[in-house]
Amino acid sequence: MLELSSLTAGYGRGQVLNGVSLQIKQGEMVALLGANNAGKSTLIHCISGLVRPTGGTLKFNGEDFTDLPPHKIVELGISQVPEGRLVFPQMSVRDNLLLGGINRRALPGRPKRLDFVIDLFPRLGERLEQLAGTLSGGEQQMLAIGRALLADPKVVMLDEPSLGLSPLMVQTIFRALRALHDGGLTILLVEQNLNLALAHASRCYVLERGTMILEGSSAELKNDPRTRNAYLGL
Amino acid sequence: MDDVLIQAVIQGLLIGATYGFVALGMGIVYSVSGVINFSHGDFVTFGMFLCYTFWGAFALDPYLSVAITLPLFAVFGAVLYRFLIRPIVGVHMLMIIQLTLGLSFMLQNGLLMVFGGQPLRTPSAFEAKLLFVGDSIVMRWPLVIAFVVSVFLAGLLYWVLQKTDLGRSIRAVHQNARAAALVGINVMAVRTITFAAGFGILAIAAALLLPGTPAHPGMGLRYTVITLMVIMLGGMTNFVGILLGGLVIGVAEAIGTVYVSGIAGMMMPYAIFVLALLFRPKGLIAGH
Repeated sequence: MLELSSLTAGYGRGQVLNGVSLQIKQGEMVALLGANNAGKSTLIHCISGLVRPTGGTLKFNGEDFTDLPPHKIVELGISQVPEGRLVFPQMSVRDNLLLGGINRRALPGRPKRLDFVIDLFPRLGERLEQLAGTLSGGEQQMLAIGRALLADPKVVMLDEPSLGLSPLMVQTIFRALRALHDGGLTILLVEQNLNLALAHASRCYVLERGTMILEGSSAELKNDPRTRNAYLGL
Repeated sequence: MDDVLIQAVIQGLLIGATYGFVALGMGIVYSVSGVINFSHGDFVTFGMFLCYTFWGAFALDPYLSVAITLPLFAVFGAVLYRFLIRPIVGVHMLMIIQLTLGLSFMLQNGLLMVFGGQPLRTPSAFEAKLLFVGDSIVMRWPLVIAFVVSVFLAGLLYWVLQKTDLGRSIRAVHQNARAAALVGINVMAVRTITFAAGFGILAIAAALLLPGTPAHPGMGLRYTVITLMVIMLGGMTNFVGILLGGLVIGVAEAIGTVYVSGIAGMMMPYAIFVLALLFRPKGLIAGH
């Protein structure tokens, strides 16, 4: 469904990705692992169109989208839940969610998807008129996920969704992700919590200093010492 | 004495609403793109001279000329952003200041070349008409029209920002352009539309300010300075504060002109501005 082949990218003179390839099939939950600065965020920013790759191609259902601007990529069906949530703090929860469904393809079904998200996260439903900046970190994460779902995505990429959340909130968030996945949503998970990622994803990729060093099922990678080494940056 | 004060305050509120409206044009542009346009006031002058030209050519009343100048200015704004400003955004703040100051000089001297330096009067249907309220209050109709239209359009702008998808998109780009792009907003289109709207406001303001005001190529700087004062008083991106800032500057100007003689009276708005910022450095309404 989503296919990256020999992607290279960098900022200025520094190369961050050196020919990375990755495939995600429809309905899969795949995790992308790696130490800090391995290039995980750059990778998903390339997919979202925020960073222009210097080489390689991006394909979605066989269609090349390497040169599309970010809003067209969302319209295509690829949404990102960014690291640090990036909700619009001075806007109500409702307005944040409505903006999620602003792309041309999602707009007609927006009211229905709003109800769906409120069903998934009732906490958001209780706070629709509240400013997003006044929500707790966990609630903001729910909002960021909800906002991405309003776009009617085929693939959702989550960048460090458990970062800075209480264990209870992490459980709530991952229960929701599990439910979405069971409902057929394709998910790419970038996660710093190794055990969490291995427990939920069926397949994993391990990125080290811009190169994909491992790829396999979660069960295989769990027992491979190289996974943990890459993770610790050893 | 009291009548004079009331008269001055009313006069100030009437003109101040238009100042606020002109400043809103700069405020929305600044909020989504961080651009301060130093040729803002000169575009007001340009709009006035366009109205003068249409009156000369077709005997068109300035209020009707808006039908032509408004779309024209919207296109100016969009083109200016796409082809002149956008390529240098993010390079250096000074580049944008330099560019818009350069535009200001080009407009001033271009107008001077074409129309000459003498003030030009553009007749309008309501130019000399007066509105009497009670026994002692007299208002010039053009100012009343300018006030009503400015307040109505400011309200309309506020409604658009709060209640429509375009407005939400503008606020989103203001708060976090990167997140806005990830959500699926066409950030460049939002910025272009905002520039078009900001310049459209100037076309309308030009027609509102023109009746009874002789147009002169050099008068734009004054509007730019007033606009800068107003948006700083208002808090840069606080749209209610900006309208309020316009009223404050308008009243200060009117009172200064009535009570303090000559040049000193014209300094009144600037004195009020400095005082206000000394006590409320973040603007009149303490915003976010």
